[in-house]
Amino acid sequence: MKIIFLAALAAAIALPPGAAYSQGKTAPKDAKVYFISPRDGQKLRGPFWVRFGLRNMGVTHAGDDYQNAGHHHLLIDVTDPIDPKEPIPQDKSHLHFGAGQTETLLELPPGTHTLQLVLGDARHYPFEPPIVSEKITIRVRQPVGGK
Amino acid sequence: MGEIRNFRSGNQDGPPPHGSMPRRLAAIIVGDIVSYSRLMQADEEGTHARVKRIERDLIEPSILEHHGTLVKTTGDGFIAIFDSPVEAVRCSIVIQQNLVGRNAGLPKHSRIEYRIGVHLGDVIIEPDDVYGDGVNIATRIEGIAEPGQVYISGAIYEQIKHKVVCGYESLGDRKVKNITDPVRVYRVLPDADAVVGTRGRRETILIFLLAITLLVIASGALWYLLAPGRLGHQAAAPIVAPAPTPSPQPPPREAAAQTPSPSPSLASAPPSPTPSPSAAPPREPEMIAVRGGSFAMGSNDDPTERPVHQVAIKPFSIGKYPVTVQEWNECAAAKACSFTATGKDDAPVSNVSWTDAQQYVAYLSQATKKPYRLPSEAEWEYAARGGTQSKYWWGDKLQPGMAGCKDCGNLASEQPAKVGSFKPNPFGLYDMGGAIDQWVEDCWHKSYQDAPGDGSAWSGGDCSSHVLRSGSWKNDSRYVRPSNRDGYDTNVRYPTHGFRVALSP
Repeated sequence: MKIIFLAALAAAIALPPGAAYSQGKTAPKDAKVYFISPRDGQKLRGPFWVRFGLRNMGVTHAGDDYQNAGHHHLLIDVTDPIDPKEPIPQDKSHLHFGAGQTETLLELPPGTHTLQLVLGDARHYPFEPPIVSEKITIRVRQPVGGK
Repeated sequence: MGEIRNFRSGNQDGPPPHGSMPRRLAAIIVGDIVSYSRLMQADEEGTHARVKRIERDLIEPSILEHHGTLVKTTGDGFIAIFDSPVEAVRCSIVIQQNLVGRNAGLPKHSRIEYRIGVHLGDVIIEPDDVYGDGVNIATRIEGIAEPGQVYISGAIYEQIKHKVVCGYESLGDRKVKNITDPVRVYRVLPDADAVVGTRGRRETILIFLLAITLLVIASGALWYLLAPGRLGHQAAAPIVAPAPTPSPQPPPREAAAQTPSPSPSLASAPPSPTPSPSAAPPREPEMIAVRGGSFAMGSNDDPTERPVHQVAIKPFSIGKYPVTVQEWNECAAAKACSFTATGKDDAPVSNVSWTDAQQYVAYLSQATKKPYRLPSEAEWEYAARGGTQSKYWWGDKLQPGMAGCKDCGNLASEQPAKVGSFKPNPFGLYDMGGAIDQWVEDCWHKSYQDAPGDGSAWSGGDCSSHVLRSGSWKNDSRYVRPSNRDGYDTNVRYPTHGFRVALSP
C-alpha cells in the first residue's frame, strides 16, 4: 500500500500543478451529516459542545483528496443558500474544521441561532449533491448571574 | 463532564446506531484480557473486581468519548462499534496507554493486559449484540495481537493511515481461522517515531528513489528557469510542465503538496536539495520601515477584539505588499516551498497555510541571510492602522478604492489580479485590509485577555490555529477593519489566505 502511495506521490509531484479540478465531487447517495448534539430546539447556556455526525463517509483533513471523505463546516445563522460552484466561505459565520475535527466548543450571544453542517471536499467545495445537515434552531440563554 | 452526559443522551434518542437498519458498516473493536483464566485462578474475586473497575473507569468512558457504542462486555473482554474508524483506533490507543499506567506498579503475573483488534466491516446490530463476518474478523485479529497492542485490519488502515498520526507496522497477510480470504494486518505503534525503526528496506529504497526524482525535477526546473533567460516571467508557472505524462488524476497540486507527510521520513526527504548557492539571488519583497511607537490595539466591535489594550511596538520593517506569486514561486523552484502557485506574477500568492508561509520565510531568510519572519499580530495591526485610531485607516466610513472586499464599493469584487490595486495607507503599505487574508506569527486566542503588551507574537495556547488578518475580497467590510481578527487551522490551505513578511532591524 505504502508503495502505491509513494508511487502516486511521485507521479503527483511530477505532474503539472493547477490542472483542471472538477468541482463538486460526487458523494455516496446514502451519505448523511447530522448533529449528534445539540438537538433541534434545545435551550442551552454558556459555551456548549457541538458534535458532528457523519454516516457512510469519512472525515479527513482539508487537502486530503480521498474518495468519500471530507471535512466539516459549521454555518451559524447563515441564510444565504450554499453555492455549489464556490468554496464554502470562510468567515465568522462559516467555521471550518479542516483538521478533521468532529466537535467544537461554541460560544454564542444569548438569543435564537441556527446551526447547519456542510461537508466540504479537499478544496472546501460542497459535494455533488451537497451533503448538508438539517438546519437546527437553538436558544442560548442568558448566562447565570450575568456578567 | 457535562458534555459527556450530553453526548450520551444525544446518542440514545438521536439517529445512531440501533433501530431500523439491520445491517451497516461499522468499525468494530474487540478487546480481550490476556491469560484471563490464569488471573481468575489466582484471585477470582480480586480479578473480577479489577476488571469491572477497568471497564467502568476506562473502557466505557473512552468509548463514549470517542463516539462509540459499547455493545457488550464478556467476562474477559468487550466489543464496541464506532461510526468512524479514526475514533475506533484512537479509542483503542487511549485504552492501551491507560492500561500501561495502571499496570506500572504491579508485578508481571497480576497485570491485566488486553489485546485489541479493530476491523471495518458489515455487521448486523441487535440491542445487545452484534453479528457478522466483521465481528469474527475483528475477533481473529485480536487473537493474534500481542498483549498491550492494537492490531488493525487493512480495511481500517486504509481509512486512517493519514489521519491518526502514529506508526503502522505491516504484518502482511494473515490467514485466520474460518475466514476464507487472508486478512492484511497492521500493528499500531502509538509513537510516530517508532515507525522509523521498523521501516522495511524496500521502503527506504523507494524513498531514496523519490528523493532522486525530486532532485531531477528540481535541477530540470532550475535549468529551464536559467536557460531561456529570465525575461519570460511567465516561465514561473509552467516550470513543472515538461515533466512526464499528462495528468490522469484531477488534483495533482493538492495531492502532491498537502499529503500530510504520513511518516517523518517522507517529510525529511525533499529538503536535501537545498537552494543551491549557484542560483540567482532571490527576489526580496519590497520592505517599508516602520518606526516604533505605542497604540491602542483592538476594538469593541467584536468580542474577539476585546479588551482594547495598549501595546508598545519596536521598530521593524514589513512587506509593502503581500507576497506575490512570483516571489513565492522562486521558493517553490528552490524546492523550499511545497507547491508552485498559479496565477499572474503580481497577484498575491493564495491558498497557503500558516505552515506554508513559514516555509517561505525560512527560505527567504536562508537565501538572503536576513531574519525574515511573519509579522506579529500587534505589528500587523499597528502597521495597518498607519497611526490612526478610526474604524478604517482612512476614517469611519467606507470609500471606494480604499480596500478590496465584497461591499467596499468597488465595481469588481474579484480575486485580486495584482497586489497594490488600492490606495496605500499612511505608512505607504498596500492591502492592509481586504484583498487577501494574511497570516501572522501568533497562535489563535479568542480574545486579548492576558495578551502581551510588548508587540511580540503571542505564542502558547491553542497553536493548532493561527491568526489571520486583513479579510479578503470574499468578505464584507467588517473584515477590512484593521482590528478585525480570525483564527484558522495552522496546516489547512484556503483560497483566500496569503501573507506578508516582516523583518527586525
